[in-house]
Amino acid sequence: MDLTRLPNDKKLELCKWYFKVGCLLLPFVWGVNAIWFFREAFLKPPYEEQKQIKKYVLMSAAGAVAWMAVFAVWITIFQLQRVSWGATGDALSFIVPLGRA
Amino acid sequence: MATSNYLVLLLIFSCFCRYGNLQRLHEKIYSSIEGGAACFRRLNGTHQTGCSSGDNGAVGVVHMIKEMSDVQWLLQNATAGPYMVILSTHYFSDVIEKILEKPEIIAGILLHDNATGSSASFSQESKCPNEYSSAYGSSCSSTSPVGITWNDKGTGLLRRDIPFPIFYLPISRSLEIDKIDQCYKRYNVIDQANQKGRPLCSVQLHSFMFAAVDTEVCLRRSTSTTLLTPTKVCDPLGDHNIYYSLFPRTKDNKNKEVTLVTARIDAASLFDGVAPGAASSVVGMVTFLTAAAALSQMIPVKNASSYGQNVLWTLFNGEAFDYIGSQRVAYDIKMGAWPPAAPLSVLDIRLHVEVGQIGGALSRFDNTWPLYAFTPYIGDIPAIAEFLNIFGSNLRPNKTISPDYSSNIPPSSLHSFRRIFRNETESGALPEVLLTDFKATFSNMFYNSALDDYDNIDFKYRNITIDNKGTFIPTDTLVANGTFKEVDSQVKIARLATTLARTLYHKVAGKEYTGNVSVSAHLVDEMLYCFLKSQACRLIQAAEYASSGTEEKPPERPAPLYVGVAAWASTAPVFAGHLLALLTGTPLPVNRTECYDMSVPGFSQYYLKGWDHNGVCIQTTMNMSAAISPAFTIPNYNMKSGEYSTWTESVWQTMWARMFVASSGVGARVAAVCGALATLLAGLLTYWLQKHAARIFIDAPAQSIVNDDAASGILRTVNC
Repeated sequence: MDLTRLPNDKKLELCKWYFKVGCLLLPFVWGVNAIWFFREAFLKPPYEEQKQIKKYVLMSAAGAVAWMAVFAVWITIFQLQRVSWGATGDALSFIVPLGRA
Repeated sequence: MATSNYLVLLLIFSCFCRYGNLQRLHEKIYSSIEGGAACFRRLNGTHQTGCSSGDNGAVGVVHMIKEMSDVQWLLQNATAGPYMVILSTHYFSDVIEKILEKPEIIAGILLHDNATGSSASFSQESKCPNEYSSAYGSSCSSTSPVGITWNDKGTGLLRRDIPFPIFYLPISRSLEIDKIDQCYKRYNVIDQANQKGRPLCSVQLHSFMFAAVDTEVCLRRSTSTTLLTPTKVCDPLGDHNIYYSLFPRTKDNKNKEVTLVTARIDAASLFDGVAPGAASSVVGMVTFLTAAAALSQMIPVKNASSYGQNVLWTLFNGEAFDYIGSQRVAYDIKMGAWPPAAPLSVLDIRLHVEVGQIGGALSRFDNTWPLYAFTPYIGDIPAIAEFLNIFGSNLRPNKTISPDYSSNIPPSSLHSFRRIFRNETESGALPEVLLTDFKATFSNMFYNSALDDYDNIDFKYRNITIDNKGTFIPTDTLVANGTFKEVDSQVKIARLATTLARTLYHKVAGKEYTGNVSVSAHLVDEMLYCFLKSQACRLIQAAEYASSGTEEKPPERPAPLYVGVAAWASTAPVFAGHLLALLTGTPLPVNRTECYDMSVPGFSQYYLKGWDHNGVCIQTTMNMSAAISPAFTIPNYNMKSGEYSTWTESVWQTMWARMFVASSGVGARVAAVCGALATLLAGLLTYWLQKHAARIFIDAPAQSIVNDDAASGILRTVNC
């Protein structure tokens, strides 16, 4: 879908919709929303709905970044501590490594 | 159309051609090293032991150890590491500790048995085998620098985690070593100081092990049902114990009291499929089997009702790994569940005699074979004194048995009984005696090793035919006609087995044996041949199941005695069981269907090939029971408790070794740099072309138009 073909009110609707979908624990959708509407929100000449689009883009971006931080922390902890967690570590693993702890 | 068809055909053809070339290219680069046995990983409750390569194998530059100065060079001057050390068994014990101190420069070891320089000792077992399953009173310590240890020459490698793969090439594969040596001389020896940066002869060993950490972790990972990896990573060690009673044992028979006679079946080594165990276990097992056969002839089973005592013969399996078999039997007796048909109470065992490790002193070229009887009691136990007395009186004039009253007893199944029945053994209610041919340290210099083969007990096969009734020529006749001498291993074993059988006769019958039944050196000769040289032997052929179809001949190599994993029965205990049935059982004149339809309490029937290979129905009390550690049957057993054996064996996919000449690496580096440069150049060129498109192409659109609304309109119609 090409945003340039959409009228401005539809753009806002779409941006809002993506933000709401992202609220269902789908940070990737937020990430897509933030990148996709970045140009509309900040680079295009001002228009009526732009302010609201800007708001949703910022919120999506903040949400996605927060999620990423959480993931990064968890992945770091998991990778460093999996072995010492023993049975729990194995239970949390999707692919158990062969031939090592 | 036709042209394009031809083109497609040409393309397919060229693809095939290239595939064929690739195959041949692979063969040109690599030379496979065949017949190697790899060291593999085993795990217990707390540790992992043995070896593993990386997922893609271990690659190292060949370095041959031909003298000790080669080791010095490797450890101090080598520059092109990691190295693949090609080592003969002769140097192994001296070199291995030095190498293990510098694992970062070692990729692996290819160990080979050398015909010219045979080693005086070679044992990868611990100095105190099964140290952590020993009973109270044992003083052997493998970690203490002082004190006497049983297996004094042991390197303990079998119980250590080795950081690189080790492969073993038997003497029959010496051509492979010659091949490596040629390559080594051609590429690696010249200007050895400047090896780095030159093409060098290299070896790759692949033996990647799936399991890690310890038994608890690997069993947990084997049972977990993760979506992508339903992989089993390890299996518990285990197999079957064999037991046979002189008289049938039923729940209500009168000869309840038994003399328990035991020996072990299994041996071990560091390498997969190599566990000859001649002096470690086979001599004891053969003495046991032949003595059982002789006793069954001295006291026919039909006379059972006239005797008040019984003899229960039991062969334990998995004894090399913390006494798997005997722990299970002792545990089951304690639980009142062994033997399943008529459970034995520990107080019914009037005496436990273990035929321990005998055979290490057999290769001595004299008539003597000094035996020792270890009895773990300070006080005098009448049953033992009586046994030793009768045993001594039945020995040949120049043979001796010296009792050793000490609670520090050598590795044997006695340890299992003493741990599980501590009260009964301590009080002397379960009297125990262990027969060995060593006193302070093992006389066997190759305990549980790849080199513990027929040479170690000085066995030379005589190949005497057996008639179709299964009669064996008496030892005295064979000695008289010069076939055997008194110093031959077969004769010594036959004499010892005779003594054991006569002593047990005396114990059961309460009087001295006056008949002329004795163990034949002929039978011993055949049995040693079966267990040490070839499964395609007369005894095993006669003791096999009689099958109607045409069956394949057993391989002309000995069955490995390693206990293996509990998932399936290995051949050695099955052979031992069938031999026991054939040699002690009663042949019945019935056909196969009648044979298997019979149901006599205390007996079972086997339809075996028989001496004439026509099939014979054997009625026997021989049976098998699981030799799987109680650790794997007790629910929620704590694997770290150290109470029972917890050994498991890792699963692996393939084991292979190959040799190739590794390039110096200059070519590869040049190629990588050229590739990077070419990519960079192409990128720059493309960028410049796009930027100056208008200068080069006559009708090129101006760059600004691309983002214009009209152009994006066209793009939209294409994209959306």
